[in-house]
Amino acid sequence: MQKEEFNYRCRELSAGLDFQLTKYVLDTVQEHRKSKSAGKLPVIWIETSDSGDNNIAFMNTTYPYLGQVLSGLIDLLYSNTFMAAQGKDALNILEQAATELRGKFTLVVEGAVPLKDNGLYTVIARTENYSLTARDVLTWLGPLAKYVVALGTCASFGGVSAARPNVAGSVGVRDVLKREVINVSGCPVNPDWFVGTLAHLLLFGAPELDSLNRPALFYGFTVHRHCQRRSYFDQGHFAEKLGDLECMFSLGCVGPRTGADCPYRQWINHVNWPVRANTPCIGCTNEDFPDGSSPFFTPLPEKNPPPHEEQPAASKGGAKGE
Amino acid sequence: MSKKRVMFSPVTRLSGLLSVEVVEERGGIIEAKAGGTLFRGIEAIMKGRHITDAVYLTQRVCGICSLAHGTVAGYLLDGLYDHELPENAQYLRNIMLAADTLQNHIRHFYFFSLPDYVKMPEQPPFLNQNLHDHRLSQQDNARLVNHYFRSVAVSQECHQLLTVFGGKIPHQHSFVHGGVAVAPTADKISQCLALIHSVHSFVKECLVPDTELIASAYRDYFRIGGTPGRFLSFGMFRFGSKNQSPLWRSGVLAGAQLSVPDVRLISEDITSSWFVNADGQEIPSPSKPAAYSYIKSVQYAGQTFEMGPLARMLINGFYRGGNSAMDRIYARSMETLLITELVIDWLNKLVPGPPPIQQKKVPVKEYAVAATDVMRGALLHSARIKGEQVEEYRIITPTAWNFSPKNNKVQTGPVESALTGTVIPGPDMLYTVLGRIIRSFDPCISCGTHVLNAKGDLTGKMVF
Ligand code: SF4
Repeated sequence: MQKEEFNYRCRELSAGLDFQLTKYVLDTVQEHRKSKSAGKLPVIWIETSDSGDNNIAFMNTTYPYLGQVLSGLIDLLYSNTFMAAQGKDALNILEQAATELRGKFTLVVEGAVPLKDNGLYTVIARTENYSLTARDVLTWLGPLAKYVVALGTCASFGGVSAARPNVAGSVGVRDVLKREVINVSGCPVNPDWFVGTLAHLLLFGAPELDSLNRPALFYGFTVHRHCQRRSYFDQGHFAEKLGDLECMFSLGCVGPRTGADCPYRQWINHVNWPVRANTPCIGCTNEDFPDGSSPFFTPLPEKNPPPHEEQPAASKGGAKGE
Repeated sequence: MSKKRVMFSPVTRLSGLLSVEVVEERGGIIEAKAGGTLFRGIEAIMKGRHITDAVYLTQRVCGICSLAHGTVAGYLLDGLYDHELPENAQYLRNIMLAADTLQNHIRHFYFFSLPDYVKMPEQPPFLNQNLHDHRLSQQDNARLVNHYFRSVAVSQECHQLLTVFGGKIPHQHSFVHGGVAVAPTADKISQCLALIHSVHSFVKECLVPDTELIASAYRDYFRIGGTPGRFLSFGMFRFGSKNQSPLWRSGVLAGAQLSVPDVRLISEDITSSWFVNADGQEIPSPSKPAAYSYIKSVQYAGQTFEMGPLARMLINGFYRGGNSAMDRIYARSMETLLITELVIDWLNKLVPGPPPIQQKKVPVKEYAVAATDVMRGALLHSARIKGEQVEEYRIITPTAWNFSPKNNKVQTGPVESALTGTVIPGPDMLYTVLGRIIRSFDPCISCGTHVLNAKGDLTGKMVF
């Protein structure tokens, strides 16, 4: 299968009501592995400074379900959340995988990286003699990985972990590693975006990225562009209170400058998304989330970013507007 | 034999990052230090923001129990604005919190706990399992592994149910202050009934019998991992127009004495935590000597307390067992069954209609405390505001109570107490035994560690 065809099918299937996309992805991966007798994508997953919401989001993936992802798509070698090994047995796996699969594994980083005080605000593991910080692990594994995926907005851009006043001096992975980082942002990530990216890596390598290094396949257009309430916006009919059916711009919606496909992909088996739940989009995939979206219920032009930051331009976010 | 210091790190299969250091002597644990090694500081982040940001922003404290924080922040804002909650909103909110709790309990049992007792297939992510004390027959083991994978779809369905009303999860959108922004329409209700019936069958046919199987094969764990027997709950599933009536009662249980909790008796201590006091402000200090955790010690009336499903079940008289690692697991599974039945009942009581939400425009109070039990135990948020701006926001999580490090009286928290005195049957059993005891508390270190403005003691009598 050609990459172009795959991308085309992904776009086409995303718009379908029966939501066949991820199911299609799994079948394609299986076919690919059979024909090329290729292995699964080896993954080392490091949890750093975040709420752990992205691993929960990952557990919510449907078609393929988590079990199918683990058996058919990736070899999840190290993961604080899932691995059966514990203590030094777990660290041994990490060291072994880093050596044996050097240049072959995909490094998934879930969370921001604190830099202040030698990075001691996030310690991945301790031994009797030293503390292995998130920064240590990244600078060790980053150069050895084939791909680096920053999972979630904290890992991509700093996110909530770096929100003002950013006590721990946290930054996104891109500010720690001097190499290409694929950002799969979201607070949390939509499991389709993440599983889709992993499938793309296995099948065709790195996907086409937007200006914020996110797979354009998922973040290429704004929420506003496909929003079911767009006609209300165009006609100037705005909600007065939460629960109303009109456009949520008046209640703080950041959809016009947020790149994500939530209006049609939706969440958790594709059943709902924030605007359909009569609340504003708070722009959780954005580079400046949460500070640029806060106060969440204040209309976009009146949101007051802290004085030391510039107001982001309406088009910022790496997505095409309209 | 001499003393041996062992660092058990990383403690995997939990939320967040945990390291536990123990001292072993003659095959027994004589000292334990449980350290949360992750700091994020949501309390500092809330400072200066609009108070209505609280529900969405504090959910970002935690991924596995996001709505726990959303719920308490919602109650807090209800208090500050003095809202009247419509009845449909009360049902909807409890359905949503219950769905997140079911997701949590099911995932904890299968994804986190099960590999402590069941031999998993020799493939990633189960390599190096190192389970030296395996007691299940091949057939039983195979069945439980199969249930591990079946639980994937069931826990997903709990979140799907929540999303039908909440828009997304983790970090849902519609449960806000003043009610719920989504209309409980007939189609949503029947969709959710179908989902909860599927979850209910799984819990009845798999989770409960699986728990019983593990409990009988590893029955010695009914005598391992006990705490000093002080339990606390703030009450769970609140009803009433002012969130005043929890369905499951609150209580302070010490020995046979049961009393009503009073938030004014709660205090925190940073003796062993990576924080220092500077001009009345607590600030993180990651190199502080002798400290070993970003979690603070929390006490009630000067003593540490255990909380969680076992505490709730004991306080409400739903469970008459003891106080051990296996009792904790058992009580959590029994609670899961009870909650599925409650959700079915509440869904049937919802009256299809418009979004049950009434938000007042401006807050009428400057200070409020909200406290309730959530999946892991008693959670408290408090805020002091000026106008609509946060001056001080404070969060005390269940994990902080359970994982309290040593305080100024060298009193250990429940987890450290549970580990101390444990006999390790053989050198290759250390991780297995420690892991089983630690995970029975359902640790959530992402929740455990925040920073606060030390000048704020909790004020005002809180009625439970
Ligand atoms: S402003 Fe928000 S609610 Fe309105 S049309 Fe755009 S995305 Fe939809």
